[in-house]
Amino acid sequence: MSVSDRVGEPKLNQPRAEGDNRQILLEVDNLQTHFRTMDGVNRAVDGVSFHVRSGETLAVVGESGCGKSVTAMSILRLIPEPPGKMAGAIRFQGRDLLKLSDKEMRSIRGNEISMIFQEPMTSLNPVLTIGRQIGETLRLHQGMSKQQAEDRAVEMLRLVGIPEPGRRVREYPHQLSGGMRQRVMIAIALACNPKLLIADEPTTALDVTIQAQILDLMRDLKNTVGAAIVLITHDLGVVAEVAERVVVMYAGRKVEEAPVNELFRNPKHPYTQGLLGSVPKLGSSLTGETTRLVEIPGLVPSLKQKIPGCVFATRCPSVTDLCRAVAPALQEKAPNHIAACHYAPVEASVSGTVAA
Amino acid sequence: MSASNLPSGIQIPPGLAVATPQPDILSNVKPRRGVIGFLRRYPTIAIGGTLLLIMLIIAVFAPLFWTVDPTALAPARRTREPSAMYWFGTDMLGRDVYSRVLYGARVSLLVGFSVAFFSSIVGLAIGLLSGFNRLADSIIMRIMDGMMSIPSILLAIALMALTRGSVQNVILAITIAEIPRVSRLVRGVVLSLREQPYVEAAVASGTPTISIIFKHILPNTLAPITVQATFICAAAMITEAILSFIGAGTPPIIPSWGNIMAEGRALWQVKPYIVFFPAIFLSITVLAVNLLGDGLRDAIDPRLAKKL
Amino acid sequence: MWAYIIRRILATIPVMAIVALFVFSLLYLSPGDPAAVIAGDQATPDDVERIRASLGLDRPYLVRFGAWTWDILRGDLGTSIFTNLPVSTMIQQRIEPTLSLMIVTLILAVTIAIPMGVVAAWKQGTTIDRCVMAFAVLGFSVPVFVVGYVLAYVFALELDWLPVQGYTPISNGFFPWMENLILPAVALGGVYIALIARITRASMLEVLSQDYVRTARAKGAAQPSILFVHALKNAAVPIVTIIGIGFAGLIGGAVVTESVFAIPGLGRLTVDAILRRDYPVIQGVILLFSFAYVLVNLLVDLSYTLFDPRIRY
Repeated sequence: MSVSDRVGEPKLNQPRAEGDNRQILLEVDNLQTHFRTMDGVNRAVDGVSFHVRSGETLAVVGESGCGKSVTAMSILRLIPEPPGKMAGAIRFQGRDLLKLSDKEMRSIRGNEISMIFQEPMTSLNPVLTIGRQIGETLRLHQGMSKQQAEDRAVEMLRLVGIPEPGRRVREYPHQLSGGMRQRVMIAIALACNPKLLIADEPTTALDVTIQAQILDLMRDLKNTVGAAIVLITHDLGVVAEVAERVVVMYAGRKVEEAPVNELFRNPKHPYTQGLLGSVPKLGSSLTGETTRLVEIPGLVPSLKQKIPGCVFATRCPSVTDLCRAVAPALQEKAPNHIAACHYAPVEASVSGTVAA
Repeated sequence: MSASNLPSGIQIPPGLAVATPQPDILSNVKPRRGVIGFLRRYPTIAIGGTLLLIMLIIAVFAPLFWTVDPTALAPARRTREPSAMYWFGTDMLGRDVYSRVLYGARVSLLVGFSVAFFSSIVGLAIGLLSGFNRLADSIIMRIMDGMMSIPSILLAIALMALTRGSVQNVILAITIAEIPRVSRLVRGVVLSLREQPYVEAAVASGTPTISIIFKHILPNTLAPITVQATFICAAAMITEAILSFIGAGTPPIIPSWGNIMAEGRALWQVKPYIVFFPAIFLSITVLAVNLLGDGLRDAIDPRLAKKL
Repeated sequence: MWAYIIRRILATIPVMAIVALFVFSLLYLSPGDPAAVIAGDQATPDDVERIRASLGLDRPYLVRFGAWTWDILRGDLGTSIFTNLPVSTMIQQRIEPTLSLMIVTLILAVTIAIPMGVVAAWKQGTTIDRCVMAFAVLGFSVPVFVVGYVLAYVFALELDWLPVQGYTPISNGFFPWMENLILPAVALGGVYIALIARITRASMLEVLSQDYVRTARAKGAAQPSILFVHALKNAAVPIVTIIGIGFAGLIGGAVVTESVFAIPGLGRLTVDAILRRDYPVIQGVILLFSFAYVLVNLLVDLSYTLFDPRIRY
């Protein structure tokens, strides 16, 4: 059963062949984000690479604590330094964001790359009006006057489907429901027509019915605005609905990456297999069910110690001594499909390219 | 990873894709445990504790530190500058300022510790009563509100105006002025603890109030009260000095730091050392207690930092 | 809103009643017989008794409290035993220096302490933060008269930049007035600055860890805007609360500061009254200061609505 049959959005779910000729917008290259804590260095993200093309939707999935959100925060350089420290490269339209000055970085945040957060209830400032919070990005990045910014804020509220935008724009966040607030967050994120939208669990904190509405809204807006999306989620139903490509993260590393159909049909890494094994039905969040990941037995390893072998070794059902001693590298196992597992078979179509 | 690091018996099959280890970007931190780790984490406790200990030793063993009788008058040798003979000089009555300052530590520490102790005990009792009895609470808190509306130094001054100056009366006056603060703190802790599931369960299962207090409430109030007590101790030492300084504290015959400064006041423009030596000792002692309190607060409960 | 303000004002009445009862009891319990003092050394016991009756001192406690309260409400705070002047007149004569000192100190403390706390929170864990925190602990620990003497010694005696002591009324011009107030205000403000800076830092740290600050950062807002537009308003309620509570320390400190700098204000009046055991004056001053304290905290309560739209009455 193919995913596209269910969600009725075949275009988005088509696996892209190697010949994807859209420009690479963002390239994360061996990103490391570590934190100094009282009892050791937490290697929250340790060598993650992926890319996003213009207009593409990439999903980053994994359990909580696997480094998804830290990766997202790292892209916008929202990691406080100290205690955090980043290494590697994050190239956005060819420029390495890690090398930009604070001022240059600020002109990118909310303008070319914007972000939606998980908690709409707490992500809006309780003492500033909705209009002011939407208008702030416009005044910052597009030099609008107060009046222009407010007019445009009303327009944005209408775009994200908030009734009576002229009245709401003068209200405070506590006067809005959770779903409304997430719409406001989306309005803030899209106000400056960003090229990349990072959505960190945008629907997790919402009611199931609202989740579907917000996802629909994001999909519509993506088509009108044309932004690429990095969608961070642990909800595989959401992934199946909106993503084109999927990066699976575990313990601060990328363990698998593939186009969405390929991944769902043919997961290579035991961790991905575990995740998918726990999903009852794809696309079910539209029909009102939640599809949360069921815990895979075992403990996530502490990221404060170096792990000599495979990061998943402590929980893997088919672990061997080799896994505990030698870390597997990411390797192309099928066309456009990479995974980091010693025992995932390499398909014949790519076996000639195994080099590393 | 080189093969030599591998546990014996493991062979890397040819052609296996092996990940290159990621470099360290932060130097490693060694977690420290034990006394050293504790002191590194809470340096204020170490500094405050040491300073306070020194002051305590000075106070207790004042006669051993080459002091003379702090009350011995010597009009012929008055207002001498500090010298090898009189380390801190002499005051306008010829008394040795060094000896008076050292003995002054006794008064200051006695007042500080006593006020901290008594106001904690009484405040604990009032706070518990008020936290457990609605009727008592409404009356007590009205009175506490009223008392807290009188700035505590003024309250202490007013109480001192009613009595003769003596160390006991100073302790009593400052204690009364500090009680409302402790009562409020204890009451707040009691009220929030009473809503905890385990306390509610104990109440529901018919546990007598007394045993609830001793089992669940008291142990949880001790930490915030200890921290509060150190701050009260510091405040009391300052209040004592202020009371003596304006002439409403300990009788002038007693060498307290406030008294020494009060006596040096008239001459301070020409003989500033009479005022400055007790001032330095007072400041260091209060600083020590405050540092200790800050450290304790952080060590016991970081959340408490917001309440105090 | 108005209903709330009126309710809040009414709620201060029982508090002030407790204060009044306490202050009245002070006179009631005071050692010595005011009648005997007024009658003088030559008086016979009959004279004393007559004066006692004329003063109403022979009536029961609560009756006297009622009469006394009635007098207070009409603005009659009694008569000084020592100067024979009405207490209200004495207070009027002395109020300007104290009011000036407090207002200057308040403005000074708030303008210094809040930016200090904000910067410390922003630079948490750095040397700047540690300096602010060290200053705060020092501010709590060095008593106001010690700071006063050190400042006077350095800036008045050694450097001769400012007058050592005294007070110049504001009617003599702003600068002479200010010249006399700077050192006392700095001395008096030390503890207050420490208190406000510390709470500002704590409150800001709390706010800066909130999700909406991250949102502001993700929008590309610059640091000053994040600190002062997004965070400070959210952090304001605990800060104004401590400004109100700290006012008590300001009052207590003023009593001492006026002694150090020989400022003829209410503080000096209090100290003199204590030394002379002039109870009506002590009562009047305590009553006035407590009233001011209650009033300040009432204003603080009402100011919350300015900072947080979620607080509505």
